[in-house]
Amino acid sequence: MTAAPQDPIGRVVATEALPASPHQFHFWTAVEAPVGIGAIVRVDGTTRTVYAVVTDGRAYSDLLTPLHEVVASEGNPAAPLPPSRRAEIRLWTAAVLRQDPPEPMQPVPLAAVHLADAADVEVALRMDAFARGDERTAIPIGLYAAGGTRAPVFVDADFLLGPESAHLGISGVSGLATKTSAVLFFLSAIFQHFPKRKGSVAAVCLNVKGPDLAFLDLPSDLPPEDAAMYAELDIRPEPFSQVRYFAPFKPDGVNLNTLRTHPALVDAVEPLVWGLREVLDYAEVLLNRDDIDAKADAFLDFLADRVVGRPFQDEWGNHHLVESFAGLEGLFRAIFDGLEQAGGREMWRTHHVATIRKVRNRLMNVSTRCKGLVTDEASGNDLPFGAFADRTVYVVDVAGLDQLGQDLVFTRVVSKLREHLERRDLGVDNVVVFVDELNKYAPADGPETYVRKMLLDISERGRYLGLVLFGAQQFRSQVHRRVVGNAGTTVYGRMDGDELATPGYQTLSPAIKSKLATLPKGELMIRHPHFTQPVFLRFPRPAALAGRQGIERYPPAADVPFTDAIVRQLSVLDRRVAPQRVKDLIAGRREDDVRRALLATRRARPADVLAFFTARLGRAVVRDVPAEGGPAVTPLRTVEDPYAPA
Amino acid sequence: MQRPFATARVVEGARVRAVPVGPAEAAPDGIGFADGIQRWGIEGHFGLVPVARGQIAAGVLVRAGGALRAAVRLEEEFLVVPADRLGARERAAISGVGLPVYDADGESRPHPYLDRWAVAQVVERRREALEREACRAFLDARPEAMLVVDGGLAGLRHLPGAARAIGIAKRHETQFLDGPELEVALTLPAGSRSSVFARELDDGTVLLSWYLRLWPWTDEDLLHGLTRVERIAGDGVVEDADRVSRWLLAERAPIAGRDSRWDRLLYPLHEVETALRAQAGGWL
Repeated sequence: MTAAPQDPIGRVVATEALPASPHQFHFWTAVEAPVGIGAIVRVDGTTRTVYAVVTDGRAYSDLLTPLHEVVASEGNPAAPLPPSRRAEIRLWTAAVLRQDPPEPMQPVPLAAVHLADAADVEVALRMDAFARGDERTAIPIGLYAAGGTRAPVFVDADFLLGPESAHLGISGVSGLATKTSAVLFFLSAIFQHFPKRKGSVAAVCLNVKGPDLAFLDLPSDLPPEDAAMYAELDIRPEPFSQVRYFAPFKPDGVNLNTLRTHPALVDAVEPLVWGLREVLDYAEVLLNRDDIDAKADAFLDFLADRVVGRPFQDEWGNHHLVESFAGLEGLFRAIFDGLEQAGGREMWRTHHVATIRKVRNRLMNVSTRCKGLVTDEASGNDLPFGAFADRTVYVVDVAGLDQLGQDLVFTRVVSKLREHLERRDLGVDNVVVFVDELNKYAPADGPETYVRKMLLDISERGRYLGLVLFGAQQFRSQVHRRVVGNAGTTVYGRMDGDELATPGYQTLSPAIKSKLATLPKGELMIRHPHFTQPVFLRFPRPAALAGRQGIERYPPAADVPFTDAIVRQLSVLDRRVAPQRVKDLIAGRREDDVRRALLATRRARPADVLAFFTARLGRAVVRDVPAEGGPAVTPLRTVEDPYAPA
Repeated sequence: MQRPFATARVVEGARVRAVPVGPAEAAPDGIGFADGIQRWGIEGHFGLVPVARGQIAAGVLVRAGGALRAAVRLEEEFLVVPADRLGARERAAISGVGLPVYDADGESRPHPYLDRWAVAQVVERRREALEREACRAFLDARPEAMLVVDGGLAGLRHLPGAARAIGIAKRHETQFLDGPELEVALTLPAGSRSSVFARELDDGTVLLSWYLRLWPWTDEDLLHGLTRVERIAGDGVVEDADRVSRWLLAERAPIAGRDSRWDRLLYPLHEVETALRAQAGGWL
């Protein structure tokens, strides 16, 4: 039996035990009715219309006890089927999305139930308030598809990117929930539909694992059904037209630490390299794991305010201009030598020597563990803070860094974005920061970290700045509740059963949970401030090349030798650079000197790359090697360092 | 009250015997199942004269692919009064209600019990008539279909197509057999029928019957699972008794477990009753 669209598919029923209320009701349908969990229905009463979403369903027959079935089959499960099927009921539970008129709020009328058509979906989800007219702020986020109806579903930009509410959290099991795909699709939708009058928008995506975000500028092979969904949602199925990739170097300082190293693509990757100043401003990140204290904090402030980047004279007459890790190490050595020579004093300018050693070891540890990200230079190559471009994706690939390095990058990038947005000089008005594995950065449990504090701050105040967090995590229950709670829009993909058993999901019906636990790829459940109940949606595959396909199509290149890497990077800056000329130039030179010259060249982007590089490289200095048997240098007395790395 | 004994003659063999009918076999699609419901209550009185309201319904469900769907549904609501005990004013008031009015042809003197009994008789006769109309509608509309009817077929004997009707009597208030033949009938094993026997009505119509045991009666009442199948006499009816019995055996499942008569009540007939009661709605 197939009901015509205008025909009712059921009727509301109410008993004393199962009454209809203003927020929930029950209705029966024919067994064959195309209704399912998540379907939106409309109840036409005489004085009011009610829109609701199906949250649960039950079926039962007139069988009084299962024993009757056993008796009827004479205990034989293989007995032929009875000639008559038992009378059977499909009884559905629906949660009210909207009542028209809204006042007085009354129980749902005991009337006919219809499947919602596209117009009903718009009204039911209150999209008529923001998806029409000149002040339209609608961003398509997926396709409602149930009961034969397909209708685009929009979220309100004011509630997705601020200022009314902001942030998006997406949860689901790895590999099945398609979290990254969903976020990339959302970003496409935002870039194409965010109203111009609302300002400019960019996205910063932190790639924390694999090649997920490494090919966003390349088109994918979209199946026809996905292309059709793009058409229905009025989104052009295109990869991101403006993408800038940033990745640190590997410890060799010349090969990029990313999977986007295929020769055809690597030119578009810019190195992410930071100097002492960039690191020192966020040194709290390094200290807050197990040993943050006020003394270390004070010493760091002292270094940042009084030492780094300015002339400094110590008590022993040494002059320092600390601009790099090497310079900082020189200062530390001078302090320790001076204290030693002063008879083993333990205090230097109110700072205990143990505190100084702790800070020294943490900072120097960074330059070791994050070699490739941190340079010995005064400054490095950074994201274009202040010159962000509208509708541009900035991918920061930190997948190859260890946790400390990822924390540092995450903290610094987000903090810089916040600083610039506060000053309104970032270059764009709104930035979406996409972070996967949010549970790692803002865990529900564990010690208070600088990263978590920063994320809490963004969650609670970012919407006023235009700093929007799109966080993905496998287990929502493992993310700090203030981060979760401040996400205006929440998306769920395929969920783990144990996760669904946690208290955060107790408002969902067993049927909704069951659906979430079996949700196919490409389907999501979404909560949004305008939707009074969660809604199930479909979304198409991203139009940008997925990481796995990208790796197959553009396999990463093997690391190249130091010399070849220098040639390649200079060639990226200027195609006219002759490889042999570069090789001759750097032959026999110290690698650190070459790296320094390359970094300076990249930073300056001069018209004549080779000339600039040559000048920065300077003349070769012949090393003065002392003759064997020369005067021996008396070593300094070793002082035990309790904070030395194990 | 109906007489508890009647006479019949065996038409299959020389005497009544138990006949195993073979494995259950589903009846062909399109078979109908007919039943009816009735209810009544005293709505008020004119003095000592009761005014009853009756509601009856009859229907036929047709089965296809295992699904039972309504094929015929008739209903009627009416008043029943002992008309000759009402004055003109009361009759006018009754007519003003707008429902058909039937005369409860009871005693001329007031007698609360007999008055009620008279109303019940009227309601029952009206229900039987409505069932007959429902069966007629089904048999007319589906000239090839068989029709299983709840109860005997005496009331349907004049209907065109009545030869396609199969009556299922659950109550055994009237015994047609006696002596060893009755013993054979009442002790039939499950899945067996009795020999076919005939009884003749006053108008000469011959009805053929046989007992059929649906469920084992061991440790139960003699009548447990025992039905009496009835058909209008005609060519091939006796020969067809096994096949019809196999159809009915197949109707043991599903069990109409919500009814205390589940051992004799076929589920589709139970469904007719359920549907009619549900559609009749509340009874205030």
